[in-house]
Amino acid sequence: MGDLPANTIHHRRIMLGHITNGAPFAITRCLGLCLLAASCLRGEAVSVRAYPEYLRVDPFGQLVQADRAASATQAAVQQRQGQRSISLRGARGGYISFHLVAELRGVEEYTLGLSLGAGNSGIQTDVYREWFHYIESANRYYPDALIPIELPYRSRLPEPDNRIRGQTAQAFWIDFWIPPTAAPGVYRGRALLRAGRHRAALRVELKVLPPVVPEQDVVVVDQNSYGSSWLGEQYPRLAQNRPDFYSTDAFFRLIQAYHRIFCEHRGVYHQLGYGHAGKVGPEFAPALVGIGRSRHIANWDLYDRHYRPLFDGSAFAGTRRGARPIPFVYLPINPEWPASFVNWGELGYEVEFVNVVSEMERHFRQKQWTQTRFEVFFNHKKRYMGFPWDGDEVRFPKDNQYFMEYARLLKKALPPDTPVKFVFRADVSWDMEQQFRDLQGVVRMWISSGGILSWYKDAPRILRERGDLVWYYSGPPGVREPSASISKFPFQGWLWGVDGFVHWLAVDPGQDPWFHLEDGSTTLIYPGDRFGREEPIPSIRLKIQRNCLQDLALLDRLKNRYPLDTLKAEAAQRYNNSRPEDWWNPRPPLADQPALEWTNTSIDEATSRTSKILGTIRPDAWARVHAYLMQLISEAP
Amino acid sequence: MKFLGLLFVVSGLPASAAQGGLAPTPDLAAQLDEIARVGSVMVDGDVCQRIVTERALTYMFKVDVRDQWLAGDNYDVDNAAFIAMKKTLLRLSRLVSFPADVNLWMPIKGHPDKIRVVIRNTHEMSQFWPWGALYQDMIPQMKTVLETGKRVTVTDKPGWISALAPVSDSLGDPVGVLEVVTQTQVDAHANVK
Repeated sequence: MGDLPANTIHHRRIMLGHITNGAPFAITRCLGLCLLAASCLRGEAVSVRAYPEYLRVDPFGQLVQADRAASATQAAVQQRQGQRSISLRGARGGYISFHLVAELRGVEEYTLGLSLGAGNSGIQTDVYREWFHYIESANRYYPDALIPIELPYRSRLPEPDNRIRGQTAQAFWIDFWIPPTAAPGVYRGRALLRAGRHRAALRVELKVLPPVVPEQDVVVVDQNSYGSSWLGEQYPRLAQNRPDFYSTDAFFRLIQAYHRIFCEHRGVYHQLGYGHAGKVGPEFAPALVGIGRSRHIANWDLYDRHYRPLFDGSAFAGTRRGARPIPFVYLPINPEWPASFVNWGELGYEVEFVNVVSEMERHFRQKQWTQTRFEVFFNHKKRYMGFPWDGDEVRFPKDNQYFMEYARLLKKALPPDTPVKFVFRADVSWDMEQQFRDLQGVVRMWISSGGILSWYKDAPRILRERGDLVWYYSGPPGVREPSASISKFPFQGWLWGVDGFVHWLAVDPGQDPWFHLEDGSTTLIYPGDRFGREEPIPSIRLKIQRNCLQDLALLDRLKNRYPLDTLKAEAAQRYNNSRPEDWWNPRPPLADQPALEWTNTSIDEATSRTSKILGTIRPDAWARVHAYLMQLISEAP
Repeated sequence: MKFLGLLFVVSGLPASAAQGGLAPTPDLAAQLDEIARVGSVMVDGDVCQRIVTERALTYMFKVDVRDQWLAGDNYDVDNAAFIAMKKTLLRLSRLVSFPADVNLWMPIKGHPDKIRVVIRNTHEMSQFWPWGALYQDMIPQMKTVLETGKRVTVTDKPGWISALAPVSDSLGDPVGVLEVVTQTQVDAHANVK
């Protein structure tokens, strides 16, 4: 591996520097999360420490660089080092999380246990070993992937598979799941670390508050992906030597596992099934035969094997969120499917399109797949030379005519009283303002560039008032960004009053995520193949996002007791000392010029205010909002 | 570019072998070559030249370190010309019973060392296009086609067969290249992205 990472060399000095920072204690109190206990002080052989979810620790027992900005909190952590307990608070129907860190000096083998006297409350504990990814550009390790483990956990340091020279600490992510039926009250437990003749213990106190986290999220967070060929690459044990892998039950179970992991983390998963020139993956569309008037669906087999458990909800049976149909799905419809572009503009195109889409509607209706929104969505861009117009991010206004034509065809294909939820979706940026006007009543689901939408403060309200869905998009923050960065998008979505947010790509960890992770900005999960699991495993960022979403759902619910504007203002102030209006950009003169005259540089300049706000998120930003929420629900009558 | 590593045949006949690649199935290669021959006659080079707009060409080689998407975001085509040509290419691809694409490639005025794909098709197959490129270095076999006006079969990439044919304008000058392409084993999931 070469030289020791910089973490080991500089970290202690930096920590000590932070300890001298003054603002410590009130913040910890405010967090409602008594943070740390160490059963033995530095210099002893073993210790077990607890850190709040926003403070990640490296393989040498130090805070990762990106999270050190939470200096006041860190100082508080250090001051409370002598305590031998942690105290956590949370609502029912949600999770409470923290990092548990085992440190060993002079010994290698250890056993970690954690027990909670949960009685018959139904409280469950999920434990994950944190994988330390080497980030070459930083020459440092960051934890992110979470490997599910069973307790007691027996291993040694350095952890054999993570292979980090000089490793002295192993971090574990702890999730306490508090079911809605759990009795409010205080539950106590203990973590115990044993290494040879050494012992270290940590008392755990979990206070369950009466409120229940709403099941429905106030902001839908969507994780997007493209195609499925990457599944074979990421799961070589499943796919190798199986030329039929993409039609096996194992393949479909794997896809369903991706939906499950995001659903369990209060998210949604999208998988686009066609390419920029119209090639459709066989599992994303029913098989067609014939041309012109004879074109029809010949076979639903692969499609139904793929989607039936997702549309009837059975794929989620046994999960904590329960069996439920997926709320959204891409249809395979594109300019080349189901009608061939060879007939574009002719009667044959209309006949092929209408006949096949009508068959689809009937199939979905007969199967009673009426809970899912089936999205007619055009992802192609003309720069990829498949078609002459942009379906995605229209810049040239002439391209809107195609949306009008497809709306006409859809209207012909679908019975007006269909219970099946077809929705015309458009992902918009440059021309969104004009499209909001010109495609009113055509597009009913808008996925907007966050930067450009930030100029149009009234747009979400106007669109929602006419019944449209409004999401915006960006991408996952990398693992080197402060831990709370993942909360900025759902939080902004709530402040803006939009329905959802899309991580444009959330399943691509790169070529070697385990030993040379680039930055993780295209993934929020990791393939479990390496650990013998035929499913994805979560990340710290996904967990923090989930916890943010459950807080948001609960915070929004409080609007029946407090003005929503007040809740937003108080939360924004705590998050980053901002006001809700700071999360919008002023409408620039640019917006009144044709989009063809804009450049990305001018867009960047016109979004600089929010870029600045969103680029400097402190690691404890969400913890402050969480503390505010805990305070509010503790005051509840 | 591995000029010396490429083996191609400059003739109306299919290649019989390829250095570094699988031997093409003679029947497949012959069928592709036949499409290429027909396409060379049917495809209107003047229409092809009207597809990519002046705006797109103007921005294609502009570099702005602050705007990496400048060229792509300004890429535009003449809809009528594109649609007419794409329909022709789709019809040509239906001359065989197996999955095949007919892609249109064109040189770039003022950049003799570059070439660009202008229209791709249903199966999203190409032996030469690195996914996403607006333009790329001139492909030696395409250069040969443009210079000689003769068809070429390329099997350099294992499992791929491309028949290249010239597209001429009304003056009889070669202005583009058809790539008639298939794979000996079609990957149903590639490029679904």
